[in-house]
This record gives sequence, structure tokens and C-alpha cells, in this order.
Amino acid sequence: MKNTIAAVFCLVWIFPVYWMVNTAFKPRPEVMTPDPHFWPHHPTLGNFTAAVTQPQFLTNLGNSVIVVTVTVLASIVLGIFAAAALSRFRFPGRRAIMVVILAVQMLPATAMLIPLFTMFNSLDLLGTYSALILAYVATVLPFSIWVMRGFFVAVPAEIEEAAQIDGAGTWRILISVLFPLVAPGVIATGIFAFIAAWNDYLIAYTFMQDEARYTLPVWLASFTNPHTGTDFGAQMAASVIFAAPVVVFFLIIQRNLVAGMSAGAVKG
Amino acid sequence: MKTATAPRHVHAAPTAPPAARSRRRRDPAPYLLLSPAALVLAVVTLAPIGFLVFTSFTDWNQRTLFTGTYGFVGADQYTTLLGNPAFWWSLLRTVLFTTAMVAGSVLIGMGVSHLLTRLGRGWRYTVTVVLIVAWAMPNVAASLVWNWLFQPGYGVVNWMLGVFGDTAGLNWAQDPVLAYVVIWLLIVWQAVPFIALTLNAAETQVPHEYQEAARLDGASEIAVYRIVTLRFLRPTLLLITILSVIWDYNVFNQIWLISRGGPGDATATLGVYTYKTAFVGFKIGNGAAISVVTTLLLLALTAVYIRNLLKAGEDL
Repeated sequence: MKNTIAAVFCLVWIFPVYWMVNTAFKPRPEVMTPDPHFWPHHPTLGNFTAAVTQPQFLTNLGNSVIVVTVTVLASIVLGIFAAAALSRFRFPGRRAIMVVILAVQMLPATAMLIPLFTMFNSLDLLGTYSALILAYVATVLPFSIWVMRGFFVAVPAEIEEAAQIDGAGTWRILISVLFPLVAPGVIATGIFAFIAAWNDYLIAYTFMQDEARYTLPVWLASFTNPHTGTDFGAQMAASVIFAAPVVVFFLIIQRNLVAGMSAGAVKG
Repeated sequence: MKTATAPRHVHAAPTAPPAARSRRRRDPAPYLLLSPAALVLAVVTLAPIGFLVFTSFTDWNQRTLFTGTYGFVGADQYTTLLGNPAFWWSLLRTVLFTTAMVAGSVLIGMGVSHLLTRLGRGWRYTVTVVLIVAWAMPNVAASLVWNWLFQPGYGVVNWMLGVFGDTAGLNWAQDPVLAYVVIWLLIVWQAVPFIALTLNAAETQVPHEYQEAARLDGASEIAVYRIVTLRFLRPTLLLITILSVIWDYNVFNQIWLISRGGPGDATATLGVYTYKTAFVGFKIGNGAAISVVTTLLLLALTAVYIRNLLKAGEDL
């Protein structure tokens, strides 16, 4: 009985993903048919070729890679020092900073979008990588600090004390003792940061305003052009290409997922 | 009991600050470490929040985009907004839809979490992998897959519904009720994995003795769950529900990519309504006012959530 329920649940929940992959490998006549084929009778890679040879694919992929890489690096470097400060030291104002870090994640997307848009407009930054990177750091840095802080807190104080007795100073302890110990956590946080920035649609769509400057999610969504009709096979192939790295990363960090989510890392 | 939302390794952390740390109270190190991130956060998050409030008192619009000029209008944006039925309808829609999405995802999530505790190893692993794969699907990709599943003409859902009659032409996004159904299904599909896995982490911590004792007293399985298990799950359930309300209240991408808030304004929740006002009509001052009101409405819940999260496992 419970196994039957489990089987039915799995079938229902995996079906949309299965249907995406299934469609991606079907030739057009098998996609556009009133009697859907539940597996590709004549599997083809044509949809993938069609997707990656789309006009802006490489440009937009390049934009995504640049913007996401800079965002992740900046958030990790800035975040790791802040996380160390918030976990291994007690000082006035610490609690207030932590509340602010958690609170900014709960804001509606438009509440950040509107002022960033007007600010970047007056600074003439709209349509530039800088605008996108700054906006992504605003979303990614707070949860990166919060998640990495959790990893610092987990390092027993005895280790720090032992290093102190051995004569290591504050900075020495930080760099030679603490940083190596939290390295796995830093990698997990980096993956969270990657996913959040890679998946963003709204900010890039609103700020970039030009096909050549869009990122991959905006490129993907623009497959649904009401005038030209949608090539669902190519669209699903593009979705597979876009989703694949995220699915792989999710499976890698699955043990940290729950902790990261509750800090607002990957929004539902 | 620790809730699952606190990182599990927190258990190993000391609750009181060791002497070694308080000795460093005058140490400038934490401020030095914090200042780069604090500076960046001040510029990219705190300044914009201030600017949002500022903008809501101006008539920032399309003209401003090109000329850079705008005027102060006092509280006009707010009085106009509160006198606009479109805003109230949007608020009502948001509240009702959020309730439906949260109820659906939390109830199904509870069911799946409970199911996971009763499965053998093989099925447990399979269900977990399925949950993670569904969870990992990016918003944009999932929304496009949804459009394709529910596509009128060739969509597989209409074909499956064909057993109930001729449904091939059913146009989901163009019907107010059906558009909600499609979006609801998508949000619930995406939300259940997080809820089920988080709850399951807490549910495996429920001491077995209590459940055994209840069973020995002749309680049915449903009664054991309701009386014993649920009591232990309550703190986690509370955090999950608040978080779901905040997320679902703020949902934008999925609605935008499936129905654009249509047909008409049928699915224009506050997020979509704000976006359309600010970036389609380019009445940015007006949009800012909606954002401020939206955020204020959410503030109480956010405060409860942060309090709970800080209490749950983070020594302060």
C-alpha cells in the first residue's frame, strides 16, 4: 500500500521533468501531435542543435557566465570575512546586523527592483554587467553570509583556544585554522550563490533591455514568442541545457539544502 | 527540540561564549572583517530601500527616465493607491491565492514527509531523488515546461483529460479559473520538496517511545500522528508555514511566464500588479508606493520568522 502511494507520487512528481526530456529528444512531427508519444520513437539531437544555434545563445550564455562568476566570487570573498566576524566575535551591533541580513531576503522582488532600477538609471548603468552584478550581490551576499556563518559556528571553540595557546594571533587563527576548516561550507555556499544568480530572470529581463545583453534565463523565456509560434522541441532542449547544471549542483549539495533554503538561498 | 531549519551542525556549537572570545572585546578585527561586506550591503540593499520609500513620494515616471526630472507629490501616490479598487482586488487575490498555495503545499508536504518515514530504503531513496530533481528545476524552465504540458492542442494534460470528453482545445492560460489551477499546480509542485524534506528531517527526530506508548494504549495510526507526532513537528511546521506564506505572497516569475497576470487582470497578484505599474506603465512612483505597502503588510510575518530563526539554533 505505502509502496503504491510512493510509486504514484514519484510518477506524478517526476512527470514534468520526464516530459521535458522526452520532448527534447523528439523530432518535430512527434512533438506536434494530438496523440503524444510517451517516449521518442525516432530519437534525435536536432532540438539541441536548433537551441544552441539560436542567434543569441552563445552571447547570452557568455553574459550569464561572466555575471554569475563575478557575483559568486564577490559574494564569497566579502561574505567569508563577514561570516567570520559574526560567528567568532562578539561586539556591539552584531545582532542588529544579523537581523538586517535576514530581513532583506524577505522583501518582495519588486521592492528591490524598483529602487535599483531608478538608481542605475540615474547612474547610466542600465544594460551593463555592473548593474546586474550589483543587483545579484544584493540578493546573494546576505544569504551567503548567513549560510557561511553556520559553518563557522560549527567549529568548536577549543580549536581556536588551542591555536591561541600556541601563540597564534587573531588573523593567523582566522587564515590558517578557521578558513581551511570551513572550506567545504564555502564551496556549498558558492553553489547556492551560483544557483540564485544563474536562475534570475526578473532582474536581467528588466535591466538589460537588449537581446545581446540578456542572460540565459531571459533567452530561454523568449523562446515563447507569440508571433513566430513556439518550437516546443527546441524550447524543451534549451530548458534541459539550462536546468542541467542546477540539477547536478542540487544533487551535490543536497545535505546542505535545508539549511540554505531557510536562509532564503534558493527561493521556491 | 531543535527545528530542522537550523543547520544541524549547530548542535555541536557552544551556547555560551568561551572566555577566550570575550577577552578580545576591544579587538578591532570584527569591524575590519565586516566593513567591506557592510559597505557593499549598505550601497546595494539599504540605500535602495531608502530610495524606494523616497521614490514613493515622487511622480517618477517614463518622462523621468529620459529627462531625469521628477516632482514631489507628498502622499499622493498612497492616497491614489488606497482609493484604487484595482489595488484592493489585487490584494484580495494575493491573500486568497497565497492561502490556497500554502495550504496545498504544506498539506501535501506533510503527507510526503510522513510517507518517507514509513518506506523501506529503496523507495525512500527514490522518493528523495525525485523530490530533489523537482526542487532543482529553475523557475523559468519549470514555467516553460508547464506551458507545454498545458498547451491547448498538443499538450499532454489535455490529452490525458480526454477520457472525460473533448478537452484538446482547453485553453488554460486564457481562462481565469484554469489559469489559477495551472499556476497553483506549478507552485505546489515546486514547494513540496523543500517542505517534505525539512519536515522529514524533524519527523525522524521524534522519539519513538512516545509513539510506541500511544500505540500500546490502543491509539490508531491517525491518532498517533495527530496527537504525538504533530506535537513534535509544530515548531518546524510553524517556520515552514511562515516561510511559505512569505514566498508565495511574493511569487512573480511563474505567474508572469504563464499568464502575464491575465486574462485581463485575473491573476495579477500584488507582485504582478506592481511590476505592470512600474515597468509596463512606467509609473515608477506609483509602483514604489505599492511595493512599500506590500512590504509593510508582510513585515509582521517577517518579524516572527526572523525571531524564530534566531531563536531556533543561532546563539546570539
